Amino acid sequence: MKDITLGQYYPSDSFTHKMDARVKLVLVVAFIVAVFLAKNFLSYIAVAACVICATLVSRIPISKMLKSIKAIIMILIFTGILNLMFYNGETVYWSWWRFNVSLEGIIFSVKMVLRLVLLVMGTTLLTFTTTPTGITDGMESLMSPLKYIKVPVHDIAVIMSIALRFIPILSEEVDKIMMAQKARGASFDTGGLVSRAKALLPILIPLFVSAFRRADELALALDARCYNATPNRTRYQVMKFGWRDLAGVIGTAVFIVLVVALNNNFWGAYQSVEAAWWLFAV
Amino acid sequence: MQIKAENLNYVYSPKTPFEKTALDNVSFTVNEGDTLGIVGATGSGKSTLTRHLNALIRIQSGKIFLGDVDLSAKRVDLKEVRKKVGMLFQFPEYQLFADTVKKDVEFGPKNFGFGDKEAACAAEDALRSVGLDIKEIGDKSPFELSGGQMRRVAIAGVIASKPEVLVLDEPTAGLDPVGKREILSLVSELKKSFVKTVIIVSHNMDEIAEYCNRVIVLDNGKLIADTTPDELFNRSDVVDNTELDYPHTVKIKRMLSEFGFEIDSPALNVEALVSGILGRLKS
Repeated sequence: MKDITLGQYYPSDSFTHKMDARVKLVLVVAFIVAVFLAKNFLSYIAVAACVICATLVSRIPISKMLKSIKAIIMILIFTGILNLMFYNGETVYWSWWRFNVSLEGIIFSVKMVLRLVLLVMGTTLLTFTTTPTGITDGMESLMSPLKYIKVPVHDIAVIMSIALRFIPILSEEVDKIMMAQKARGASFDTGGLVSRAKALLPILIPLFVSAFRRADELALALDARCYNATPNRTRYQVMKFGWRDLAGVIGTAVFIVLVVALNNNFWGAYQSVEAAWWLFAV
Repeated sequence: MQIKAENLNYVYSPKTPFEKTALDNVSFTVNEGDTLGIVGATGSGKSTLTRHLNALIRIQSGKIFLGDVDLSAKRVDLKEVRKKVGMLFQFPEYQLFADTVKKDVEFGPKNFGFGDKEAACAAEDALRSVGLDIKEIGDKSPFELSGGQMRRVAIAGVIASKPEVLVLDEPTAGLDPVGKREILSLVSELKKSFVKTVIIVSHNMDEIAEYCNRVIVLDNGKLIADTTPDELFNRSDVVDNTELDYPHTVKIKRMLSEFGFEIDSPALNVEALVSGILGRLKS
């Protein structure tokens, strides 16, 4: 159970951890919209401020947050470089064959990278502060209107929560199988591509066998307890919209309004401050 | 080959909320010829400890010597170490993968550099010693076999590479009484040939009492006893202070002594208990 930081729950009892999962889901969606709404650097600053505030109230260590960015570092570099090279700007600094590096290109790629970083940070905050069960319960509750058009919402939620529940179990299983095969002299990090791929067979086959076995056992266990998706199942933990949720909604709303306002120069005040005007204009 | 562990410490997920100390300053020595039992409650660090012995887990702090090989050194010949120290995991049948039994058993030997012929010989020997005939099941898929046969094939897969030290992690878990006995007598048999040292992790005190000449007890990652079964079960209070239990034979001996019927045999197996009772009756 190591190194699956992207979406691993970080136990704590902070403000955000105690919020209603449904509200957090909606707020994350709103946050994503806000990220895509942001046009200039001033509004990006507002979005970044939103992420920083949210991180502070959820008391997730900065190192944890940075780790989630590390996971997408290759994507960031790739996007950055592609946008830098292929953007058709006017102020060209350097060009070779089809590649042009321009002022506009630099600004654009910085914005793209910033956007990705903010997106990942905002969304991992959700998974850091909400248990997988919380997320699926929240999804189920949010999707429940779909029941009226015969969408099996509850079944989908159960499938999701089982899938999530099994990620750590299977990863532990992989660990065990790897150890058993290593003890028999297998090595997974030597040789060329083909021999490495071949070396994975002694892990994959037992893993699949055990996944099927577990699925069978789980199905039997569900059956044995007469599990079925009756229309009105009650819950052990009832979700409630509390003061924290109201505060979260208001806070996020403020940031979104700020983003929109900064996008549009509503007060026409930036011109007076040169730096602000520059951030707005680009 | 002597195995020596000095001041081993191991912490899982250090510096996170999931931090857990698995081993806390553990030192012990296993001499060639020993059958060492490792006992302790679930989560006391037994598995972590055994996985150190063939370098499946990197040492965080402390030292382990296998003969003169230092496992905490920067460069360790892992194949050499793992060939010398064979390890049988809990429910080893879950590690089977090849399309035939023969190939699965040959997997270990081939990894350790046996030639085709040597590996085939080793597989045949190993299957024979677990009571299976290579001619009969060698070309079958391991997944066609019964549960008991699968476990035996898996054991054959470990002993085929002829390890000097055999580490068994709950080898009898989930087996019927006859199966348990068969596995343990197989281990005793192996100890007469190439296996020099056996280390057994078990929750079953009867097995520990009967088969081991030494026991170490782990409790929350600390080594709290390093002694003989006789000492542990007959002359110390370690068992009472942990989540462990006494072997059945020792329990009977204790009950009898409550009725004033003292036996001076250590009663670590049924024969010893019976002869103790008979001796007392004669005198």
